[in-house]
Formats: sequence, C-alpha cells, structure tokens
Amino acid sequence: MEVEEVLSSKSRMKILKLIYQLGQLNVSDVARRLKLNFVSTSKHLKLLESEGILQERTYGRVRMYRFNEGSAKAKAVQNLLDVWEKGK
Amino acid sequence: MVPRQSVFKDESKLDINFIPQKLPHRETQHRLLMEFFNFILRCPEKMAQRIILTGDVGTGKTALAQHFGVSITSEANKRALRFRYVHVNCREYRGSLIPILHRAVTFFRPNYPSRGYGSEEILGALIQILDEENTQIILTLDEFDSLIEKEGSDAVYKLTRLQEMRQGKPQRLSFIFIMRDSKAIDLLDESAKSTLQRSIIHLERYGKPQLIDILNDRAAMAFEIGAVPDDVVDLISELAYTETGNARFGIELLWRSGKYADAEDAGCVEPECVRMAVSSIIPGLRRSELSGLGLHERLFLLAVAKYFKENEQSYVSLSEVERAYAVVCEEFDEKPNGHTQVWNYAQYLSKIGVLKTEVVTIETRGRTTRLSLPTIPAGQLDRELTASLQSERGQT
Repeated sequence: MEVEEVLSSKSRMKILKLIYQLGQLNVSDVARRLKLNFVSTSKHLKLLESEGILQERTYGRVRMYRFNEGSAKAKAVQNLLDVWEKGK
Repeated sequence: MVPRQSVFKDESKLDINFIPQKLPHRETQHRLLMEFFNFILRCPEKMAQRIILTGDVGTGKTALAQHFGVSITSEANKRALRFRYVHVNCREYRGSLIPILHRAVTFFRPNYPSRGYGSEEILGALIQILDEENTQIILTLDEFDSLIEKEGSDAVYKLTRLQEMRQGKPQRLSFIFIMRDSKAIDLLDESAKSTLQRSIIHLERYGKPQLIDILNDRAAMAFEIGAVPDDVVDLISELAYTETGNARFGIELLWRSGKYADAEDAGCVEPECVRMAVSSIIPGLRRSELSGLGLHERLFLLAVAKYFKENEQSYVSLSEVERAYAVVCEEFDEKPNGHTQVWNYAQYLSKIGVLKTEVVTIETRGRTTRLSLPTIPAGQLDRELTASLQSERGQT
C-alpha cells in the first residue's frame, strides 16, 4: 500500500498514536479506548501489521499489538509521533 | 491552623511501604536469603528456588523480602544480568490466583487484559513474557496463606510445577512465599506440599531492645533532631512489645504520636502524644469499666492521671503516686488508704490493662514499683474520672 493510503485513515493514526503512548495493547483495549468498532479495529491492526509497522504477539488467546522493533517503517512512524507530540 | 514547626523531617520514612536501607536485627536472615538465591547471580537461568518466609505480624517479613529484592536487583544490575524482583500481596487480590498472576504479568506488560483466560493460560503468558524479555524473576507472594485458603492445593501445584515442566529450558521463575505460620501448608495435599521444597526462614518476634533500635533508626530518618526523646522511644517500644513484638505497630504509633505533637504545637513528641495516639489505635478504657471501679481505685487512678498530665514523664514511682493520691483524697474529702491498699489498686489496674506496672532496681535505693499509663491520654482520663466522681457526689 502507498504511504498516503496507510496514514490517511484517522482511525489508523489514532491507533498508532495510542500504541505509541501505551506500548502494547490487545484489540479490545484499543477498540474500547478509541470508542471504535471491534471488527474495524481488528482490520486496521491487521493492515498495520501487514505493512510491517506493528507486530502481533500471542499469549494463549490474548493477541497484543506493539510497534515492530525491527522495522524501519515503524521507526519512522514513531519518530513522526515523537516530533509531533513533543512539539505540542 | 498550620503548626509552628513540624516535628517531622520526612514522615514518608514512617510509611508502611517505605523500604529502609538497613533492617536492624534481620541481617542474618537477609544473608541467608542472599545465600539461597545467589545462583541467580552466579549461574543465571540454571535453576529456580522456592523459599518460605514465616513470622508473626510486624516481625519484618515484608520489609525483609522487599529489602532483599532491592539488594539482589542491585547486585544483578552490577553484573549486567536481566533480573526483576516482583512483590505481590495475595490478600489484596482476595487470594485468587488469576488476578495475582495478572499483577505479575502487568509488571512487564502494563496493558495486559485482565479478563478472559484461565490460570494456566496466564501462567503460560508469564513464562512467555519472561522468555521474550530474557529475564529471571523472584516472584514474592505475600500473605500466601490467603491463596492457600482460597485456591487450595491445585493453585500451589500449578505455580510450583511450572519450572519442572520446562526441563532443559532456562529456569526463570523463583518464588518467595510469605506467610504468618507454616501450618497453612498442612492444608495442602501431599503432592502440593512436596513441590514447595520447604526451605523455611522463620522470623522471631522482636524483643524490646530490638524494637528500641528499630524505632530509633526510623525516628532519626523521619524526625527533626531531638524531637523524639529517649523515654518516648522507650514507651513506644514497650507498647509495640506488648503487641506481640509488632514493629509495624510501633512505627505507626511513632508517626501518629508525631501527628499529635504537631497538632498540639508541642515542638517535640511528648509521652502524652503517645497516649493520645495509642487511644486512637487501641480502645483504652471504656466508660463502663470506669464505673465498675471502686471509689478509691478511681481516686488512685485520678492521681496517676493528674501526675502524668502535670509532668512530662513516661514513668512514675508508686511512692510519688501515693503522695498524689493523698492530695486527691483531700480534694474529695476522703481519708487515703495505706500503702498495701495502694499497691493493690496498682496491681488490679495493671491486671485489667489500664496501667502498666513493673518492678525496677534503682542503684543504692533497692527495688521499686514504677507505673506507666501507656494506652490512655492522661488529660482525657482526668476529665472522665473527675466528672464521674463529682456526679456521684452531686457536685457540678
């Protein structure tokens, strides 16, 4: 996917910002905190994972998402959020 | 009203969660814990350990474990080893295994969901997280008896067998189980008992001299210089000693006494502040008990109360009280009784817990009985007794 497609969604940017702030979250928690629908949250997370920005960790039945430590895209997004949040 | 100058330098040093840099009179047990767990430093991930720490309330079990946790973490950091000490109080989670383990997991994954899995799943998650973090932990389960009561053998078995199921893999999870009495283990079935390994460190109750050391140590950290006189430390340690050698009670009492001293703008902690603090913790003398005393017993007690109210002392000799008793009798138009009767009053009031009597030896003058009024504020006792005696005589 093109960068504008990935980052043009308000919900996806909110998800990235939330995970940037809290570190690691499961799908329900993301949906609850952002008041989003569970299914669409799950789809956004899967898309961000397939783009290599996020990484899924499974603990039994619990699936948690965090930034993909080895990914340059993840680092770039974290840098963007870092600059953005500090500049507020 | 803001107090003139607080007696406190740093009252957080008297907080129940404060971990002191040194634990007086628990050095041997601290060394023993270090010995039991030094494999974490010497041969990491090669073995796991389980220790049971027992002792009565206020014997320093929690403080010892947390102090040890700080020491071993610092040693591990020096050697660049990945190690964490995690302390969970089981009673806070009503002895339920899942929330207890969830607490341990959130130490590493703060947003780990709190519902929707079984105990084995979360145990598995904990081990998986330790593998991901490549770290060893000591998980201290404080008030472990509550977990045994609630969950029984099955939970203990799951906890302790976990490492054994991982033969050949890094051993990451060691335990310290804290409980008042190892008898709780008898409630477990044989297989769960055997997995506990039964390495027990028992903490004996503190004696009065040990409590004095502990309180002096805390007072030096928490109070301004000279704000806590020696006789006040002595009085508080005596009270803590009678409360089954409970150091936590003594520290709380020291803090409360400081609060009363500030409220009264006293500038230092006086014995009266301790009495007020004690009466706010333990019920001193109920009014019904007061009315159950005979006339001269009340006159005698009033003399003791007046003496302590007028003199900033923690102890008084029986002969001094006898003189005060004679003055009180004169005020109420009563003929004072003789020494033997007075001695009997002191013994009776001591027996019902109003006073405390002890025989002390004074150099060149022989032995004498001295009294203290540890649990009731003298001013409050004076008011109660005076009102009771006056109403009996129809005075206002």
